[in-house]
Amino acid sequence: MSFNVSVGLVDSGVKKGEDSYQLVIAGGGPAALSAALYAARYGIKHVVLESWKPGGQAALTAEIENYPGFSLIAGSDLTDAMKKQALQAGAVFHMETVETAVEKNDKILVKTDSAEYTTDYLIIATGAAPATLGVPGESKYYGRGVSFCATCDAPFFKNKRAIVVGGGDSAVKEALHLTHVVSELGLVHRRDKLRAEPFLATKLIEHKKVATYWNSHLAEVVGDDMGVTGVVLDTPEGKKHIDTDGVFLYVGTIPATEPFVSLVELDKKKAVLTRNIVGTSNPRVFAAGDVTNNGFRQVVTAVSEGARASAAVFDLIQNEE
Amino acid sequence: MRLIPGNTIAEETKATDKLTLIDFSAEWCGPCKMLHPVLTKLTTELSDKINILTVDIDKDPAAANQFGVRGVPTMIIFHGGKEIDRMVGFKDKASLKRDLEALAVGTL
Repeated sequence: MSFNVSVGLVDSGVKKGEDSYQLVIAGGGPAALSAALYAARYGIKHVVLESWKPGGQAALTAEIENYPGFSLIAGSDLTDAMKKQALQAGAVFHMETVETAVEKNDKILVKTDSAEYTTDYLIIATGAAPATLGVPGESKYYGRGVSFCATCDAPFFKNKRAIVVGGGDSAVKEALHLTHVVSELGLVHRRDKLRAEPFLATKLIEHKKVATYWNSHLAEVVGDDMGVTGVVLDTPEGKKHIDTDGVFLYVGTIPATEPFVSLVELDKKKAVLTRNIVGTSNPRVFAAGDVTNNGFRQVVTAVSEGARASAAVFDLIQNEE
Repeated sequence: MRLIPGNTIAEETKATDKLTLIDFSAEWCGPCKMLHPVLTKLTTELSDKINILTVDIDKDPAAANQFGVRGVPTMIIFHGGKEIDRMVGFKDKASLKRDLEALAVGTL
């Protein structure tokens, strides 16, 4: 098998953790990549610690239709292009996972799985991971029919049945991707209409392969030794069993904020509470993208926030000099 | 990390006293591409405890079916030819190394 090693996997080769930085950018998705591009162009001495999924959630999105300038582009192609552009500008990437970040002597000490970094400023752009429902069978059949990534796993369901749980943009985009391969698709949503962009929502609901289950909740995933065979739904008419081979869950996300709990204030959903879009409760820490409580989680807003965060750091550095 | 045909999994996993990790992977899979350099590094770092091999599920769909794989990447860890653990999706290097070392301590 010849793997196409994407630019998202390039390591800089720069010696790690032996120096003090002006800026550490934690994360690898669009917000971090944009912050890296701007940091490099501003000449800020920086490093990007990107281990948690290079490209972020965007890289796992099959088709992005709403990023200005591209009518249709694969998420991984878009994030690869962003990474390439940042590298060309001089951005420095280390493939390491941030474990903790704390204040120390007017600096921030960032510890990763393999090094320590001292920095004046930090941009948190670590994104968010898919949330789970915690219903019976969900974890048991993960990878055996339960999936959080239609882009990754759709080929396993060619001419088979699948259901998607969720009603936001991610659920609808990934459900539309699944309609290309499955024989039947059930859409389960807890409300009576979708929250997703109306253009995409209408396209999905009107699709001939799609059956909708409104005001319904996934109660259980059932299966056998080989994997998922069906689901039980709580519907307004009571419990309902549906035969299916796959269950795709898009029921929200959990911000990846654990390493930063002592540095910045979080909201009740553990997202970084922002002020003026990218500021945080800590004047040396900024946040961008899905890790924040900014709400509108799109690639276009993530890259905007990443750029703003690096610009804010640049202004502070200029004022110090 | 060596690519193996799916029909040699039994042979490969029985032929060693070490653990064997089989990475079920595909070229079109984004998280598989992310995982590949992690596994390459661990192939060297954990070479005394574990053999890391990969199976292309497009070339060997029967192997994916045989082991109930319906998502990639799926990593199945074997000892003495028997499945002892299974992990699905991307894992960063630190977490995966920690989990594999713990499995090795509990098994070898």
